[in-house]
Amino acid sequence: MSSRKQNRPSDQPADLRAERETFVRNFLHKGVELTEDLIRENQGLEQQVRHLQDDNTRLRAQLASNDAIRELLVTIESLERERKSLLSRSDELERAFQQHEQRHSEVENELNDLASLYVASFQLSGTLSVGRVVRHMCELLEQLVGAQSFVIYIISPEGKRGLPVGSRGQGDVSTLPSVSVEDGVIGDVCLTGVPRITEPQQPRKDNEPLAVLPLVFDTEVVGIIAINKLLPHKRGWARVDEELFKLLSAHGATALIAANMYATEGGPRAALRDVIGRMEREKLRQLAEAEAEVGGDV
Amino acid sequence: MSGYACLVVEDSPMMRQLIVFALSRIKNMTVTEADDGIVGLKKLAQGRFDLIITDINMPIMDGLKLVRKIRSDERHKDVPVIVITTEGSKEDRERAMALGASAYITKPIQAPQVIETVKELLKI
Repeated sequence: MSSRKQNRPSDQPADLRAERETFVRNFLHKGVELTEDLIRENQGLEQQVRHLQDDNTRLRAQLASNDAIRELLVTIESLERERKSLLSRSDELERAFQQHEQRHSEVENELNDLASLYVASFQLSGTLSVGRVVRHMCELLEQLVGAQSFVIYIISPEGKRGLPVGSRGQGDVSTLPSVSVEDGVIGDVCLTGVPRITEPQQPRKDNEPLAVLPLVFDTEVVGIIAINKLLPHKRGWARVDEELFKLLSAHGATALIAANMYATEGGPRAALRDVIGRMEREKLRQLAEAEAEVGGDV
Repeated sequence: MSGYACLVVEDSPMMRQLIVFALSRIKNMTVTEADDGIVGLKKLAQGRFDLIITDINMPIMDGLKLVRKIRSDERHKDVPVIVITTEGSKEDRERAMALGASAYITKPIQAPQVIETVKELLKI
């Protein structure tokens, strides 16, 4: 009995028991701590795994996004090329449009000039009245050329004086003096049949006309037009003016001569009498001239 | 048929022909010509016109009198009227505009100027 009592823990010495309890407590405590550490470590690892998974997801997304960006960059590059090509095409079209506009404007001007020439020619040859021919010549100079002050002279039969038949901006034509056609600029133009045209800004001698135009029939100068002043808004000669002068020079002279000769006739039908006879005589004369020419060569 | 009718009153045959030429380039435009204001008024009474073009300086009845007559007539008071003046005659131009002219064209006549003014007034 007493030995069993001695084997009981209570029978062990108190310091041993305390030591064992301390050991067990420590052991348990260490176990708890270890477990807690393991749990924390596990939690940390789980958190790391989640972070890594998040990173992975993010990186995958970024990778996908990078691909998309690369594709977008390629698209942008292609669009940029297309934009440049369109801009270049647009510039070409703009240039073509401007050229077309310019051409259109030139054609319009040409058409306008042609209309002026047509109207001038139509009006000059559309009458056999001396007064109307002179009026048309004056209107042509005033309205189509833009001359403000001018005189139309016919050359006297002996060829020494220019007699005024029409004018604008110089008073009544009946009060205007005749001019010599043997000297000065007018004399030169009468002699050569070549018009003398100076630019309005160009210096001139006193009383010298701005332009002197011959009225020519065949090769003979039968009249003169002296332009002294242009309308205020007309700063210089236009391209069509030269053509109008040529037309006036040739058609004006013919129209004046025809109208003057017609004035002695008794109407248009009477003026056509003996046309066939004249044609025949003209043909015979031409034949005779041709034969004489051939004979002369032989 | 839709179209425009224009009365051209001008004593100078050359100017008239130039104006008619310019008007002929406007689609569906028919032109009636008169060589002075009296004839112009007679033709105006006989037909319907969408536009009148008149010179200022004309014998018998000048363009200013014609504009006044047109504007005093109830039937034509709204018809656009273009007056033709010379560059120097500013007074005539101002008088014509004060009498009710709608626009003016200065001589020498340029077809593009006529066409542009007519199109503007007829809104075509």
